[in-house]
Amino acid sequence: MSDEQRDDEYIDGAEAETGADPIPEPAAVDSRSDDAIAQEAAGRSPMTHESPEDIPANIHDQTRDGEHPYQWHEGVNREHGSTDAVEFIDVKKSFGRNTVLNGLNFGIPEGQISMIIGPSGTGKSVCIKHMVGLLYPDEGDVLVHGESVPNMSDDDLFEMRKKFGVLFQDGALFGSMNVFDNTAFPLRQHTDKGEDEIAEICNRRLREVGLAGAVDKMPNELSGGMRKRAGFARALVLDPQIVLFDEPDSGLDPVRTALLCELIQEVHAENGGAYVVITHDIMSARRVADYLAVLWKGRIVESGPAGELFNSPNQFVRQFLSGEARGPLGME
Amino acid sequence: MPTSWLDVPRDWMSSLGDIAKFCWRVMVEVFEGRALHFFGETLRQAGILILGSAIVIWGLAFIVGLTCGIEGAYFNRAVGAPSYAGVFSAWCDLREAMPYAFGYMMSAKVGTGLVAEIGAMRISDEIDALEVMGISSLTFLCSTRLLAAWMVLPFMYIAAVGAGFFASYLAVVQQIGEVSSGGFFLIFWMFQNPPDLLYSTIKGMAMATVIVLVGCYYGYTASGGPVGVGTATAKSMVLNTVLVHLVGMLGTQIFWGTNPRAPIGG
Repeated sequence: MSDEQRDDEYIDGAEAETGADPIPEPAAVDSRSDDAIAQEAAGRSPMTHESPEDIPANIHDQTRDGEHPYQWHEGVNREHGSTDAVEFIDVKKSFGRNTVLNGLNFGIPEGQISMIIGPSGTGKSVCIKHMVGLLYPDEGDVLVHGESVPNMSDDDLFEMRKKFGVLFQDGALFGSMNVFDNTAFPLRQHTDKGEDEIAEICNRRLREVGLAGAVDKMPNELSGGMRKRAGFARALVLDPQIVLFDEPDSGLDPVRTALLCELIQEVHAENGGAYVVITHDIMSARRVADYLAVLWKGRIVESGPAGELFNSPNQFVRQFLSGEARGPLGME
Repeated sequence: MPTSWLDVPRDWMSSLGDIAKFCWRVMVEVFEGRALHFFGETLRQAGILILGSAIVIWGLAFIVGLTCGIEGAYFNRAVGAPSYAGVFSAWCDLREAMPYAFGYMMSAKVGTGLVAEIGAMRISDEIDALEVMGISSLTFLCSTRLLAAWMVLPFMYIAAVGAGFFASYLAVVQQIGEVSSGGFFLIFWMFQNPPDLLYSTIKGMAMATVIVLVGCYYGYTASGGPVGVGTATAKSMVLNTVLVHLVGMLGTQIFWGTNPRAPIGG
């Protein structure tokens, strides 16, 4: 056997043994702790070492018999290549005996469209309410551009909120004002701009969302999709740095959902900023998301760039993102 | 469900404490001038009060004034003093009937309207939308309404008193007719004076303040969807009815209890 043949046999043998190219490639960045990596090597989620007594009862109720509530939560937060606009640090939140967030840790990247997805009732809307200080965590911290939201004074909180634009589930338009006045409201309250300038800004935003012909309509005269678009225009008028969307696709048909996704992408491309979309519509996630975070039982299962998550080996993430009936997620 | 008999009164006390704290916060926003930042909204609410409630309050005041006049005239006839029908009309209208009529109609129309409107805003996330726009929802929604009530209602109340007086005159002089116009007015004005009008206005405004604050509280803290707003509306009506009578009773005791201010016996 020649030396060359011996090398080929060694290489073939090495590949057969490990299934991997024996010439090591540069290691991918893995932000997990050594303990988490060791746990995964042992075939278990790093969070299964938690004692069952430490896990709230309502979360146990959502778990199948014989399973640990967090056995699918690998806690992997993949690098997204930006700074964090918003950070959650070990956030816990309960409403009475119902624990909604139970140690939430992740960051929303700057300059990208992020989506927080997960089963219904898993704490997604509670999560974004923490970002704007509508709710405060029982434990942990929420940072917006490095500043702690729970520790802010009322005046600082109101100032911080001007960085945000929020689109609520049904638009949350003020019923006593027409579409134009709704859109102009933040400008009239927070700026000294004249009515001409306000009209120019509002008409531009309403044209962007396709409501130029509905400026005089009252909210009760609008369809659900039109209310959402009007809410979107209102959320944008102050050129916010962070825009939050609370289930913008709820109640919309698939075509209008796709159009809304397109609109979000177009507006983001033009204006930039960190966009955070709460949804459990996977098609929207495929279309729009740069960054995904999968939330379940009050914690992040996995988060990272959308492309990586759609190829994740995690069984829960694979089931949820493919919409399969079989898998870790049941009807519990 | 309450687990012991103490839970019910404890819950009431806790609710009263919450309401008192809320009302204090709203009034502080007005006294410190923060409601003036939203003066446009205050004026809008004042306009709604005038256009939506004035006619119905004056209408009720008129009907109650008729009742006072009829009751006074027949009672005085029965005791052989028909020309003194003005006494009953003066005291009934100014001291008791007008404040209560005002309080009832404010509770039924304005109070429940506040709960429904603000409660609907709460359950449709409009209040959250205000908050995330960096606007204090408490100031914008509640303090402006309280300031509007204070601006408009004294005049509306005095006009209601006038409507009641006119109705009493119609009942006693025109309808029953056992005393002349001059005779009626002589006694009618003898048994009241400007301080009485001031005290009556204070009673009416105290009721109105309580009603607006309670309505704002139940609306602002509504939860549980449309059913929750309906429940809050009912609760506010119950509490307002009780408080109207409590304020009325206290006002009568304070203003006329020790000195009835009656030109009797020198």
